[in-house]
Amino acid sequence: MSRRPPRGEYIETDTGNKVARKATLVGTQNIMLGGKTVIQPEVMIRGDLVRSVPSSSSSASAPGSNTAVAIGRYCFLSRGCCLRPPGRLYKGAFTYMPLRMGDHVFVGSQSVVQAASVGSHVHIGAKVVVGEFAIIKDYVRILDGSIVPPNMVIPSFSVVAGQPARVIGEVPEGGHEAFELRDLYKTVGNNPQPAAPS
Amino acid sequence: MAPLTPYTYIQCPCSDPSNLSYSRASDSGSPIDGNPGFDDEEHTFDPRAPRSNYSLYPLEYLLYCEDCHQIRCPRCIAEEIATFYCPSCLFEVPSSNLKSEGNRCTRSCFQCPICIGPLSVTSFETQPDPNLLAAPDHAAAPHSGPYALNCSYCHWSSAEIGIKFDKSNGIHGQLAKLRNGGTTRLTAKERKERRKDILQSGGGGGGTAPGASGDTGNDQQAIDMETQFTNLKSFYQGQLSESTSGGNGLSSLGDLGFASPTSLSRIMSIYTGGSLHDKKSKSRVGSMREALDPNEGLIVADLDESAAIEKLHSEGIDGTVDTEQLLNQPPYLGEPHLHGRSRFGSELRPIPYLLRTKRSKRCPVCRHIISKPEAKIQTTRFRIRLIAGNYVPSITIRPLNLNDNNGAAGTPLPPTAPLPDTLQPLKPAHFLLIFKNPIFEGVKISLATPAKTPGRFASKVTVLCPQFEIDANTDVWDEALKDDGARRRGAGGGRKGDERPGSTQGQQRAEAGKIWERGRNWVSIVVEVVPASLRLDTLPTEGPEGEKVDMSPLKEDEDVLEIPIFVRVEWEVDAVGDDLGSSLASSRDKEAKEKRELAYWCVLGLGRVSQA
Repeated sequence: MSRRPPRGEYIETDTGNKVARKATLVGTQNIMLGGKTVIQPEVMIRGDLVRSVPSSSSSASAPGSNTAVAIGRYCFLSRGCCLRPPGRLYKGAFTYMPLRMGDHVFVGSQSVVQAASVGSHVHIGAKVVVGEFAIIKDYVRILDGSIVPPNMVIPSFSVVAGQPARVIGEVPEGGHEAFELRDLYKTVGNNPQPAAPS
Repeated sequence: MAPLTPYTYIQCPCSDPSNLSYSRASDSGSPIDGNPGFDDEEHTFDPRAPRSNYSLYPLEYLLYCEDCHQIRCPRCIAEEIATFYCPSCLFEVPSSNLKSEGNRCTRSCFQCPICIGPLSVTSFETQPDPNLLAAPDHAAAPHSGPYALNCSYCHWSSAEIGIKFDKSNGIHGQLAKLRNGGTTRLTAKERKERRKDILQSGGGGGGTAPGASGDTGNDQQAIDMETQFTNLKSFYQGQLSESTSGGNGLSSLGDLGFASPTSLSRIMSIYTGGSLHDKKSKSRVGSMREALDPNEGLIVADLDESAAIEKLHSEGIDGTVDTEQLLNQPPYLGEPHLHGRSRFGSELRPIPYLLRTKRSKRCPVCRHIISKPEAKIQTTRFRIRLIAGNYVPSITIRPLNLNDNNGAAGTPLPPTAPLPDTLQPLKPAHFLLIFKNPIFEGVKISLATPAKTPGRFASKVTVLCPQFEIDANTDVWDEALKDDGARRRGAGGGRKGDERPGSTQGQQRAEAGKIWERGRNWVSIVVEVVPASLRLDTLPTEGPEGEKVDMSPLKEDEDVLEIPIFVRVEWEVDAVGDDLGSSLASSRDKEAKEKRELAYWCVLGLGRVSQA
């Protein structure tokens, strides 16, 4: 990566992340990006909602465990989406739990994700709400406008839609490659490349 | 109206009647001769025919059999279940459990009967005891007392139907014992004892029936399906034993009726597993009486609906259930028979999750496996995955702006650009079809399309370059190393000037037989369409053979411009120097060059025609 003066719309990090200057990242020290992740403008990541384990519990408060949001490689957070760690009462006290996201996760614009974990190769459409502590496995496609209820588990290769979301179909064998976000990654940034012909 | 994204659907050859014998597919050794598109009487595929709905698939849904060299669609594959698992807890269910426990999860995975959202087990003591905060690590301690299933989407709770649980685990087993309202389901032992009591107190038999008929309304509430079944079973067993003891005389006349012992024992053996069928039944004759009172299993239809009407008054329409909710309900034997009675939300029960499967797929002709997932649930890998996208060229459609005179003219719109909402009728529109070759051989592609699309509103279609060749696919690394400009220039082909000045585009359009652009393993060609006017008054009053023309108003999706297009792909398989194409099964054949051909119909959905 060439050392260019940071002027463009995006900040490009050494690991290839492209973070828009207009994105709102709260509590950046608690946000882990795996690299090659695109964060578009007006995205909000609530890294401040970090796990607040009660002091009585001695086991879970290891220094490395205060990651609020962990994002893998080649994720794409579209404009206006929000990643928010889920929170609940745990042993009588309210605490947030980390939000983990695998590789090649696309989050559509104006979606809110409060899942406990999102697997790899997941496509979350636009204006989707993923409820707290939902678990989304790999190769899942959530269609636009769905509302995934809290605590829902979505198994791999599901197509999910509706309010509340239900599994409406299976991802066919030939549809796995469509989850790849490497090409999409190249099309944004300060010197974007045009999309591949097909 | 929702704008339509251009789509490409491929017709699986299995739906073509000329392929029913699979003869063309099975002779894998010899090259296919002739024109398969024309040897079935020049018929054009009509994407609007009602049948076409069932044979058109996007490329992703298609598989490819390497031995038959043919496309396989979800309709023409044989599926085998590899694993059953619960979609909620993701635990595998062995198939032996499946036979005994049914096709639903027997852990604590339930769906809300109202909204089908997932239910979670929560304790009733919502206020945590502040003293317990200090208590170390006894996770079980704060949660005690009754539990309920709660829907976090619609806030339904199983407490609404009076179901609470003592323990937080093994919900399925607990729920099976609980009836709505919290009363426990009768166990087999209790049922037996209760039955004994009734028989003793009532004097048994049908004698009590007329006197107790006033009470039967209440009694019926108590008789659940299981009790009724045992009552009926024991009643008929008694009848059978009576008839064997007393039977004589009249022979086979009565043997066929409902009341005859033979047919009865046959029916009972169906429902009770054959244990009742005895050899003596042939000798029995005569007829038997039917059940006469609840103890014998008779349930009189409850025609008194005043309770339901009253409930409807008090609860209103919100308290009732809809058909979908009813259909989602699994049968529950612990309740009285519903007889179409379940109309209120209070009668619904939590739905255990239906199990899901991982399936492998076989070619129906050669029985080779063409898709096989790993059996483990957590893995998403496939052992075998022969998808059509690796063998069949993909077709991408992009609107082409030829008439615009500004700088953007002649460039295909970027895929992110908003698509034009509708196509203007009777105005030529251009589309770029991008064919991408996935195989490691150069392929020759021939296209054929009817000059006018089938259907009432025939649009004119011209494929400017119906025959072209695409270079072979190469290694992924070449693509990564190559920069964009080099790809643009590519192998030249029929491109007319790289700078594409806007004024020359008028000529570009007229160039028949030339491809538009060429890349490493892709070629783009131009298709010109003149959409038909959708006005009914422009329709001819008579068809070519004088038949009546359908003048009914526009049907659903009749304004979508769909082009049937016949694609024939030909390529040669080089058996010797074929290191890249080793994935092709045909490379095993010990011939120097082998011709391969694949031909199929596909449908290009270009967009909606404006109705103005």
